[in-house]
Formats: sequence, C-alpha cells, structure tokens
Amino acid sequence: MIDNFDSIPPADSKTLKATQKFNVIAHDIAKIDGEGLVLGRPAFADDLAPANALYVKLVRSPHAFARIISIDPSEALALPGVACVLTWKDCPRVPITRAGQGNPEPSPHDRFILDEYVRYVGDEVAVVAAEDEATAEKAAMLVKVQYEVLQPVLDFEKALDNPIVIHPEPEIHEMFPIGFEPKRNIAAAYNMEIGNVEQELAKSPVQVETTVHTQAQQHVALEPHTAFSYIDIHGRLVIVTSTQNPWHTRRLLALALQMPLRQIRIIKPRIGGGFGGKQHIHIEPYVAMVTLKTGKPARLALTRREVFEATFTRHEMRVKVRLGANSDGKLNAIDMQVLSNTGAYGEHALTVFMVAGSKTLPLYNKVNAVRFGGHVVYTNKVSAGAFRGYGAIQGLTGLESAMDELAHKIGIDPVELRRKNMIHEGETSDVFRIMGEGTEGVAMTIESCKLEECIARGKELIGWNPDRLVWEVAPGKVRAMGMAIAMQGSGLPLIDMGSARIEFQDGGFFKLHVGATDLGTGSDTILAQIAAEELGVDVESIVVYSSDTDNTPFDVGAYASSTTYVSGSAVVKAARSLKKKLIEAVAQKFGVDPAFVIFDNKTFKTLNGSKSLSLYDFSFDTLYHDGERMKTIEATESFTGAKSPPPYLAGFVEIELDKETGKVEVIHYVSVADVGTPINPNLATIQIEGAALQGIGLALYEDVRYSERGHMLSHNLMTYAIPSREDVGRITVELVDSYEPSGPFGAKSAGEIGIDTPPAAISNAIRNAIGIRLTDYPFTPERVLMAIDKAKTEGAN
Amino acid sequence: MTITIYINGKREILECQPGDMLTEVLRKAGYVEVKKGCDTASCGACTVLIEDKPVLSCSYLAVRADGKRITTIQGVAEEAKKFAQFLTAEGADQCGFCAPGFALTVLSMKKELRNPSEAEIRHYLSGNLCRCSGYEGQIRAIKKYLEAVHD
Amino acid sequence: MEIREYARPKSMDEAMHLIHEEHGTAIGGSAWLRTNTKTVMLGVDLSDLGLEYIREFQDHIEIGAMTTYRELETSLLLASRFGKIFSTAVGHIVGIQLRSIITVGGTVAGRYGFSDLNTTLCALGARVVFYPNIEEDLASFIEKGYAGPFLIEKIILPSSARAAYQQMRISENDFPIINTAVAWMGTEWRVAAGSRPAAARLCRNAMKILADSANPSNEQIEAAAQESSKELQFGSDIRASATYRQKILPVLVRRALLEVRG
Ligand SMILES: Cc1cc2nc3c(=O)[nH]c(=O)nc-3n(C[C@H](O)[C@H](O)[C@H](O)COP(=O)(O)OP(=O)(O)OC[C@H]3O[C@@H](n4cnc5c(N)ncnc54)[C@H](O)[C@@H]3O)c2cc1C
Ligand code: FES
Ligand code: FES
Repeated sequence: MIDNFDSIPPADSKTLKATQKFNVIAHDIAKIDGEGLVLGRPAFADDLAPANALYVKLVRSPHAFARIISIDPSEALALPGVACVLTWKDCPRVPITRAGQGNPEPSPHDRFILDEYVRYVGDEVAVVAAEDEATAEKAAMLVKVQYEVLQPVLDFEKALDNPIVIHPEPEIHEMFPIGFEPKRNIAAAYNMEIGNVEQELAKSPVQVETTVHTQAQQHVALEPHTAFSYIDIHGRLVIVTSTQNPWHTRRLLALALQMPLRQIRIIKPRIGGGFGGKQHIHIEPYVAMVTLKTGKPARLALTRREVFEATFTRHEMRVKVRLGANSDGKLNAIDMQVLSNTGAYGEHALTVFMVAGSKTLPLYNKVNAVRFGGHVVYTNKVSAGAFRGYGAIQGLTGLESAMDELAHKIGIDPVELRRKNMIHEGETSDVFRIMGEGTEGVAMTIESCKLEECIARGKELIGWNPDRLVWEVAPGKVRAMGMAIAMQGSGLPLIDMGSARIEFQDGGFFKLHVGATDLGTGSDTILAQIAAEELGVDVESIVVYSSDTDNTPFDVGAYASSTTYVSGSAVVKAARSLKKKLIEAVAQKFGVDPAFVIFDNKTFKTLNGSKSLSLYDFSFDTLYHDGERMKTIEATESFTGAKSPPPYLAGFVEIELDKETGKVEVIHYVSVADVGTPINPNLATIQIEGAALQGIGLALYEDVRYSERGHMLSHNLMTYAIPSREDVGRITVELVDSYEPSGPFGAKSAGEIGIDTPPAAISNAIRNAIGIRLTDYPFTPERVLMAIDKAKTEGAN
Repeated sequence: MTITIYINGKREILECQPGDMLTEVLRKAGYVEVKKGCDTASCGACTVLIEDKPVLSCSYLAVRADGKRITTIQGVAEEAKKFAQFLTAEGADQCGFCAPGFALTVLSMKKELRNPSEAEIRHYLSGNLCRCSGYEGQIRAIKKYLEAVHD
Repeated sequence: MEIREYARPKSMDEAMHLIHEEHGTAIGGSAWLRTNTKTVMLGVDLSDLGLEYIREFQDHIEIGAMTTYRELETSLLLASRFGKIFSTAVGHIVGIQLRSIITVGGTVAGRYGFSDLNTTLCALGARVVFYPNIEEDLASFIEKGYAGPFLIEKIILPSSARAAYQQMRISENDFPIINTAVAWMGTEWRVAAGSRPAAARLCRNAMKILADSANPSNEQIEAAAQESSKELQFGSDIRASATYRQKILPVLVRRALLEVRG
C-alpha cells in the first residue's frame, strides 16, 4: 500500500495545440448529465421501471453440461402472485447469437434463448415472473428440473477434437465462413501468412519464443444488466435496457422471438458502464417473453452473481509469439499463434481472436514475413464476449512480452528496439488489408501516428533510464520499470455506420438526435461539442437525445472504439448540411444568393452587411411567421469509415516487488496516448486512466476461477476483487498533439487503447526485477514467489 | 412490519419484512438515488448516512433503521451540486452509477477529516468502488473541492 | 436474507432467553448473516442492549459486543494503549461504510477463518465474556467453539501491549491470504496467525522461543518466525495454496516482531 503520494509528482499539465484552434472542440466541457448523475436522479433502467411491472427471475443450470429431461412448474405456478413460468418449449426453435454485431453477424448462430441443453453453470433454464421480487425468487426455486448430467469440457487446451461435443445440435450454423466446426468444438478458426515466416525465422541470427496465458476477466460495470419491457398503446413491444447497441438488440430479438422488426422499440436510458459487457442480448429476451405472454410490464435486474456466472467474460487466450531479428534488433519475422476460449457459445469468437493479430501485428510493419493463426474453441464455461481491448490486449501481451525478451537477448534498450521497428506516419502494413474483423480487412495508410512523441514523453514522465531498470529500495524489496506500446482501431471500416439528425428549434437551439450509445463515457457530450463546433454555436445550444430506435437515427452502437470517430463524423456531416440549409433559407428570405450570406456569432449577415438576422429571430420566422416559406429545418447524415485509424499509446510502469512474499505493487503507471484531437481532453484522459486500472487489474488481481466441476468460484465481488482506490499509486495520463485527417476535427478514438499495455508492461517490469518471465496471468503474490523459488532451485542445481 | 424513518428531513412510514435490507426498502419508496451494485457489501454504491454516519444500506436491516435519521445524496443536494461541479470539471463523473454513494462519502469525509493527505482520502473512500474512472480524476476533483471549500 | 420473526430485546436476560430457549439467532452487524441464504426463524437484534462501548478499567479494557470496527479503528483509547494495531488490522476491510456496521461480537462469534480481527485479539490475549458472566480465553474459544447457543456480551483486553499486525492480500479490498499479529505483553510474547485459511491459532512454540525477553535477538526472532509455519496447519483455497501460506508466514511474523522490538 502506497502511503506517500507526494513522492510521485503529478504530470505538469500542458496545453494541447488543438485547444487554441477550436472554440468548443479540445475543450474540457463538463459532461452534460454529470450533475444529475451525482444527485442520483432517476436515470437507469431500474430507476425507471413501472411500479406495476412483474419481477422476472431466471432458473439457471447447476450443471456445466446437461440435458433437461423435464421441467415441472406446477409448484411454482401454485404460489400466489406467480404470473408465468416459461421454458424452452415456449420459445421459437431458432438458432441465434447474442452478440451485438453487424449483419450478418460474424458469430455463429449456435444458441437458443432457451434450450433443451444447458452448457455452463448459470445457463438459462426457465423464466419465472411474479408480482413481487420475493415471490419470483421463491417460485424460481420451486421449479423442478430433472437433468441428465453430461461430462463437461472445461480445459480449453483439451477442447479441440475432444470426444465430448458441446454443440451436436443440427440447426446451428455460421452466417458466412468463419472456420466453424462444431463437431470438433471449434467455433472459429483462421490462418494467414505474409512472406515465408519459417524461412525468415531460420535466417535470423536472434530468435525468441514467448508464450503467455491471459485469463478470463469480468467487466464489472457497476450497474448490473437491467431491463424492463411493456406493450405500448399501439401494441408494440418496448424494452428499456442497459444495452450498448439498441439496433442490434432489436434485430437479434426480432429473430429470436420471430417478430417483425417494426413491432419492437428499444430505448437505452443512462447505463452504468459497459466495457463491452452490455454489447449483447442477455436479459432482453426474457423480459420480452414475459411481457408478450402476460401483456404486463416486466422487469429484470441481474444480481452481481448472475452477471458473473451468466453474462460474458473476456476471452481466455494462450498466445505464442516467435520473433526473428538481426543482431542489431531489426525484426525479420513475427509468428503469432493463438488458442482462444469462447466458452459455451461462440459470441465474438472469431472477431476477438482476429483482433489479437490485426490490431497488434501492424505495430511492427517492417518485417519481411508475418504469420497469424489458431483456433477458437468451445468449453463448458460461461461464454466470452466483447470486452474493452477486444483481443488486442491479449495479442499485445504476447507480442510485447516477446519484444522485451528479444531486447534482453540482444542487450539493447527495449525502448530502442521498439523505435527501430515500429510503424510511422505515411506507412502501411499488409496486415490491414488482409485481416479484418470478419475476414478480410481494409487497406490503409497511417496518416497520424505520434508513437515517437508518446514514447519520448512517457520516458520523461516515468524517468526511464535503460541502465537502471531495477534497483533495491530495502533488503528484499526492489523497484523496477517496464514498458509496452499499443495500437487499437477507430470503428470497423465499411461495417460500422452511425447517423445523426439535427433539427433547428424555436428559440434558436438545436435538437441533436443520435443513435450512438453513451455508456457513461460522455459521448452525448462529445457529440454535442462536435455539433456546436461545426455549427459555430455554444454547447448549451445543443440538446442531445440518443439511443432510441423509434426516435433517433440508426447507429450500430458503442463498441470497437467507434463512437467519436464514426458517430462523430456523422454529426459533423449533419451539422455541415444543416448549416447549409439554414443559410439557404435565410438567403431566400434576404432575397440574395446563399453565397452572399454568412453565419457568425449566432447571426446571419449578408457579406456587405446590409442585412442581418439573429438565429433567435430566424427560428421563430421559419416556424411561425414566414407564411408559405415556413418549414422545419433539419438534416440527417450518416457516416461509415473508409479506414479505421489506430490510436497509439506508450505505457510505462514502475513497480515495487517484494522478493520475500512475491507481492507486486504498481507505484506509477504512465500512459501517453495519441488519440488524434481529443474532442474533450478530460473525458479522453479519464477513459485512459480507467482503462489502465482495468488492465492493471487483469495483470495482477482479477481471475475467473472454477471448481473441477465447472462451478464458478469467483462469483461475486467478495471472491473477485477489482482494484480499489488503494491498490495503485498513481496513474498519469497525457495526450500528445496529433491530428487525424479522416476523423472529426482530427479525432480518432480513446475508449479501448488504455487497457492494452499494463499486462505486458508489468510483465516486463517483473522480468527486469527478478530476471524471470512470468507467463500465467494474473501475477498474484504466490505466482511471483513460486517463480522466484523455482529459479533459485534451478540455479542451485 | 412498518417502520418510521426520517429521511432527508421527511417523516416516512414504510412497509417492510423483517429480513429486508434498507436499500430495497428505500428504492421501493422512490429513493432511487440509492444504487445497488453488488450482493455482498463490496461496492459502496448503496451508501447512505444513518445518523450522519456513512453505512452500506444493502447490509443494514430496514427494521433497525426504525426511528432513525437517514440521509441520501438528495438530502444534501446543495452541497452535492457544489461537489458535482468539481467532479464534472475533471470529467470524472463517467457512468455515474457509483456517484451518489461516492459523493455522499466525500461529503462526510469533509466533515470528519481536517486537511486529509491523499493517502487518507483514498483510505476513507476505499469502500467506494468505481470501475470507470480509475479513481485518479475523482482524487483530483476531491483535492480541488476540499481546497475550495476550506478557503 | 429471510427473517421470519424479529425481536429487539431491551435486556440481556430477554436476549439470552430468546437465544437459548427460542432458538433465536443473534444479529450483530448483520453484514455476514446477510450473505447467508439460510432462513432465520427468529432474529434477535442486539442493538438496544447498550453493548456499544470501549471502556477502560484499572487493569483491563472492555469492548462491548456491538462495538463496530469503525469505533475500534478510530478509538483514541485503543490507539494509546495498543498503538496502530487495530486500525492496521481492520483498515483493509472493504470500507468505512461496512466497518461502521460490522461488530466485534459478530466476528468473534463467527470464528471466521479469514478474520483479521480475531487474529489480533488472540495475540492480545483477549478474553470473551458470554452472558451471564462466563469468561473464556478468546483463542481457545476460536479453536474449540462453545457447546450450545451463546450470547457474547463483551471482550476483555489487557490494559496495554506493544503489538503489530502483518497480512498478505492479493488486492487491498480482498480477503487476506494469511495474517499474523504479535504482541509483547510486558512479561511474555504472543504470536497468532490466521487465514491459513482456517481460523486464528496461537503459535505456542514460537512464543516459547521468544520467551520473556522484551528484546529477543535476531536469531530468536528468525527461529520463532520459522517455527510459526512449522507448528500450524495450512490449507489451499482460491486465493493461495497451503505451500504459499506456509512459506510467507515466517516473513510476516519476522516483520511483525521486528516492528514491535524495534
Ligand atoms: C463484504 C465483506 C467483506 C469482509 N471482509 C473481511 C476481511 O477482509 N477481513 C475480515 O477479517 N473480515 C471481513 N469480513 C467479516 C467482518 O469483519 C465481520 O467479521 C462479519 O461481517 C461479522 O460481523 P457482523 O457484525 O456483520 O455479524 P453478523 O452478520 O450480525 O453475525 C455473524 C454471526 O455471529 C452471530 N452473532 C453476532 N453477534 C453475536 C453475539 N453478540 N453473540 C453471539 N453471536 C453473535 C450471528 O448470529 C451470526 O451467526 C467481511 C464481511 C463482509 C460482509
Ligand atoms: S450494493 Fe454494493 S455495497 Fe451495498
Ligand atoms: S463512474 Fe462508473 S462506476 Fe464510477
């Protein structure tokens, strides 16, 4: 525990060049919902549920793998207040995926909302609804289920071609080729090679091979998954839910429930964090089934234990990296082979796995050959899904650990090794073209990459000295440093689409409607800033409404670091187009050519100054006064990226390691990032600070543990501890000046990149501290001490 | 059973079962600013003041609150708004699910500790988990807030 | 948690009756009870019995069963008599909002393996008083339990001691992997270790090695530290293996002893 914070100097704040260039962009505008949230005004789904809603509870499987022989709901139904008990027999037999992804989904349709088979402890068996919560809970316990218990597959290293087949059902299928082979327990597979890797490795005088095993991780958004549903006046199904992607939710639900899309409306209220954990349909089908069955509103808030046992985790992966280099450190070849554990169902199986390569390998783009491949396998554990970092964190952990091994072997500063090989502005990588999220990628040239600046500033902030990467602070206690670099993406090019509509209102303000989904990240504020900047008004003139499939334009949702870049670009386009329409309308009123009208400081003027009209007055004119010319002035625009410009980050860490106990403490973590223009530097900074701590949690503390029979042992916050305020000394985040020409006002993305470096940087620091490469995450005191002891005994022999 | 509590200065007579925890009873009565983030007394989202002391309402029997004074963040709205300015000025409000419980604890820390060091601030607030912010922005906000209100 | 019936007795006798004769379950802070899914047929709330106190007498200190952890860690009296040990020992437990609820009585009664406080109390030579006036050594109660239902009224501490506490946790808000407390009582050393993951035990052999010198030598300290891990049993759970616990206990015992000896 750190008790002297004054010893870690905070970053001296420096002003970004961008701040001077813009009026609203690159300024620290306060989040528009901040005060309301602090005061706890009703905002989240559970705050808003109607008082008469039925409480929904789920009966869940106590077995890792079983067939349901029978379900007897009679005792539950006999309980006063119980409205219904629904089982797989009440569901359409349609395979679906729960993954909120584009259409067609790159995830296999290998799941039914309720099935005759259950494939992990916690899998849904039946849906119970009652008038109050206690009755619903009691009824759920009274549902009698008989199981034929089957032998599960729990170890992902043994899943491939195991005689036990987790998905024998004939109806399941892939939507397009993703290497889906359920008979072999393979959810997805992929291989690619550029150049000849074996040859290049053989030719290289220096070679290293490093394998890391990164564990499953829980998202722990503080608000558990929550939804309620009701039938509206038109007989349509409305679901208010904590989702990251309302449109995908609507589409997947329509398929699952075999309903026309037009009969469903999804509304996202405020949501209490997502991190990828709410990018799926986990609860919506069940409230919907109850409402459709009973005609009554229904509500469901998962318990923390249910969130842990029965939503999604991060994909556990084994990443093997081989590097070949010249003795001066020039990399010749990279080979990355991955085994990924998707758990019981294949949500995001292919795509997370692909990102392990596609958003890591381009970092070192000067190699002669690069290869990537492996399998994503099924096991009888809770499914893995989207999680901030989305494969990149796993891939980078392998790659950046191997890079440090290479630096040790050659004997050069790990920073210099990276600088020698890393990507720069104006360059490209074949990997961009070859590997995408589905299968093929999109070629792109990097127009903004300030990795050099990130590294230089990071070194300064941490006090990097390659000759002193470890030093003793007390007998048995050492401090050490390590580092890693990272890239991510900004949306999925030619797949993600976002839209925005801006409408001019009386009083001279603007309604901004976006489909984009604010998870607490502040995207509503950021999009308002973008609209205000483009329109040339202040942020207060923009009123934002978001994420309602009936009332806002389409957006794929908040994932893949897309909101600022994709949805933000849509806002720029809409604002630009609206401004043009405003000027045209005023020009007509003035009786001049639009080219002679300018809009500045909330006033329209002719170029010669002869006529002038305030925005305020014009708003009433166009809606109330101008006779036949009266009209609503609005614009709707959409955007999809032609590329996905990566943000970059250099992470540096100082740790203290107690050699007698194995305890590792992070004293200082420094992240310096190139996110393009930060639309709101404060919010970008917090994204990166929060992500860094989540990454530190993965590196040192968090672990999803199971019993031998597949029961989750770490099923609540007592057994799965996330970092508290006292775990880490200081996290310093800085943004460097950067401008991405393809992004809105030069912006890229900031949501995910911050989580990518801590696991490798901490591993590298431990390597510097004790001379041992730890490979199994998390690095608990026991693992560190056992490694030290093992090295001692081996050294003695 | 019925209990009488004095919540944010208002007398409320509420129905509850003997095993009910205060969080559920308060939320049902409309005090939805009291959040529930876990089932195990681990997160601090449910913090309320009972007789001016911050406690976890999820682990406090509603019947035991009978006759007591309870304060939620709404009961100290003016002070909370002031603190919210500092929190939002750092962008540290994020999803805000932890915010009511967190802010309430900050306000009670302000009363209890004089010129706390950063380590003392972190220690006092360690029961308020936040998964979004990484805590740094919250700490910056608290320091600036304490400086401003002590002058 | 379901509680069928609830009572808040006004006298110890009444509470005793409900627990002994009516199979009532005592409710201390209720934080741990709540994590239990078992139905409580009769909950006996101890909050109106005046058991929330820390009092100094001529040759001892008494702490009422309903005293909360927050009161222990902020007590100036305890700090002046025992140094920082209470605030260090309980300061990691979740947060002040929980520590303002959880009680000494609920902790001693539960004899939890992981308990930070019970290890501390064992080392300080605490005694536990069951109503009516049955006094027992706390360490032996932790070890052997109590036959039949019981109601803890208070615990009794010696008037002062020089003591230190050491523990290992994966992260700060987690449960401990292993913990130890040592105390110099003025005439003898006491060493206790808990969270093995089983409940706290005295390290009697280690105590013997340290004997009755306020200034044991480094060699004695090292020998006692090593002995502590030999004389106790260790187990494995999701946080750590028996081997790891056994390995680091001597490190923590040594550090604690050095802290007290100076
Ligand atoms: C989330 C969480 C995390 C925790 N982490 C830690 C930790 O890291 N380290 C640690 O040491 N402890 C930890 N604890 C345990 C805590 O310190 C207490 O020991 C525990 O909560 C019991 O205290 P209570 O007042 O809540 O007891 P209760 O829940 O009220 O009661 C517990 C048991 O004791 C009985 N009981 C209570 N009072 C009496 C009495 N006077 N006489 C007879 N029987 C009685 C009850 O009937 C019940 O069986 C944690 C607890 C929680 C909830
Ligand atoms: S709800 Fe998490 S501590 Fe109370
Ligand atoms: S802001 Fe989301 S948990 Fe704190």
